Amino acid sequence: MAKIIYQNAAGLSRTVEQDAPVTVMRAAIENGVDGIVGECGGQAMCATCHIYVDDRYLDALQPIGDDEAEMLDCTAADRDEVRSRLGCQILVGEAGGHLDEIVVTVPSTQV
Amino acid sequence: MMTARTASIDAPASADWVNLDDLNTDPFPVYSRLRAEQPVAWVPAVNRYLVTSFDACHTIELDAETYSANEEGSLMKRSMGHSMLRKDDPEHARDRASYGSSLRPKAIKETWQAIFQANAERYLADVLAAGPGADLIGLFAAPYAADNLRAVMGFDNASQQDMQRWSQTMINGTGNYADDAEVWALSERSSAEVDAAIDEMLPYFRAHPNSSILSGLANMPDALGLDAIRANMKMTIGGGLNEPRDVLGVALWALMQRPNQLAQVLADPTLTPTVFDEAIRWIAPIGMYPRQTTREVELGGVLLPAGARLGVVIGSANRDDSQFDNAAEFDINRPRKPHLAFGGGAHYCAGAWVAKAQVAQIALPLLLERLPGLRLDPEQEANIAGWVFRGLLNLPVTWNV
Repeated sequence: MAKIIYQNAAGLSRTVEQDAPVTVMRAAIENGVDGIVGECGGQAMCATCHIYVDDRYLDALQPIGDDEAEMLDCTAADRDEVRSRLGCQILVGEAGGHLDEIVVTVPSTQV
Repeated sequence: MMTARTASIDAPASADWVNLDDLNTDPFPVYSRLRAEQPVAWVPAVNRYLVTSFDACHTIELDAETYSANEEGSLMKRSMGHSMLRKDDPEHARDRASYGSSLRPKAIKETWQAIFQANAERYLADVLAAGPGADLIGLFAAPYAADNLRAVMGFDNASQQDMQRWSQTMINGTGNYADDAEVWALSERSSAEVDAAIDEMLPYFRAHPNSSILSGLANMPDALGLDAIRANMKMTIGGGLNEPRDVLGVALWALMQRPNQLAQVLADPTLTPTVFDEAIRWIAPIGMYPRQTTREVELGGVLLPAGARLGVVIGSANRDDSQFDNAAEFDINRPRKPHLAFGGGAHYCAGAWVAKAQVAQIALPLLLERLPGLRLDPEQEANIAGWVFRGLLNLPVTWNV
């Protein structure tokens, strides 16, 4: 079970829940969540699924890989050294994983 | 999700009025009418369904299972071999991964940027030597893009002129719908030359590795087959040369026709990435790419059969007023919104960062700084053509000396 809560700067929030594991980027695209573009389809190549992870969930995340780190230097909105991640690299609801739920904030722009 | 087939969904209407001459000269009025009347249409002149609305093109990009890149009877496969551009995942993903980090921002910063800068200075010197009236495509954009690509790919044994000839002749093969024997002969000759060049460079890079794509391929532990390497390199010669050349030409051409925007960029050089992005939105260098349906599917309100060959016209999607206000206008001050010029999903342009670096970060600032008062040459006409690939054929300019 995966539950992802997307918040934006205006304080609005969208919740996506589904049974199958899904990345924060893919769930946003499939459910029409505003503010996440995901141009490259999840290859850590375009930096248009940039999100800020709520502090409570940071410890449960996989470490930032080389490709993701490189892309986080190329985001359209300012990078937050602690909370910025690529949505395509965060898988939620994986069997045996540590992350069934996450709260993220969508930046003001992706392009 | 189940979509019931109902009698209310029609097959796409036929757009008999579309002809290749109009598309080649100026496709945008054709696209505008197609979007308004039938955004998914059967177009006899190109023997495909053309998809011209932003929404329908975007739908295709998000659904690789229904809209396969592995098109039957592809002329690109004949001209260049079966490259990653015409494969679906998981086969595509393996090919794509073989390019490693050669095209990523870190390699650009550490290796390619300095080479691009030196190439830009070199071809700017040719422009300055030619003086006012110089053609910025022939003297700068084309050789600059070709030399940069030569370095990134690792064709140390070829010249930038070889790269240009290979690119153009194989692209002509990819578009050889008329089945012209001479076009095939030139394409096949280039293909054989590229094969020979690759065969020579792979062993060299095993002994002398660098950051280039060929070096990465030579030193991969789980190497791709030679056929895949050859096809991917030929696709990259095609896509890696014309596209940066054409976006540079279009960006300068657009600015020179709009003195207010040109003045704005001259006053604030940090705007060159915005100019780049607006230029590829306004005239996408690759205007159309093919897909083929794997099942019967409803798209844009019409029913497509299984096996339907589609042209995804991103050059039109990027001019869709439902996505962009006054989409036909080149306007660097428009709100930034996602466009489809780099494609989307698994096939998102692998060279996007390389293109941005060489055009937006290096060539545009350099030309604007070193050619003061840059403007179109009133004595000579600039010409632009194409729809599958669209760009300036020449761009004669003048400046204050």
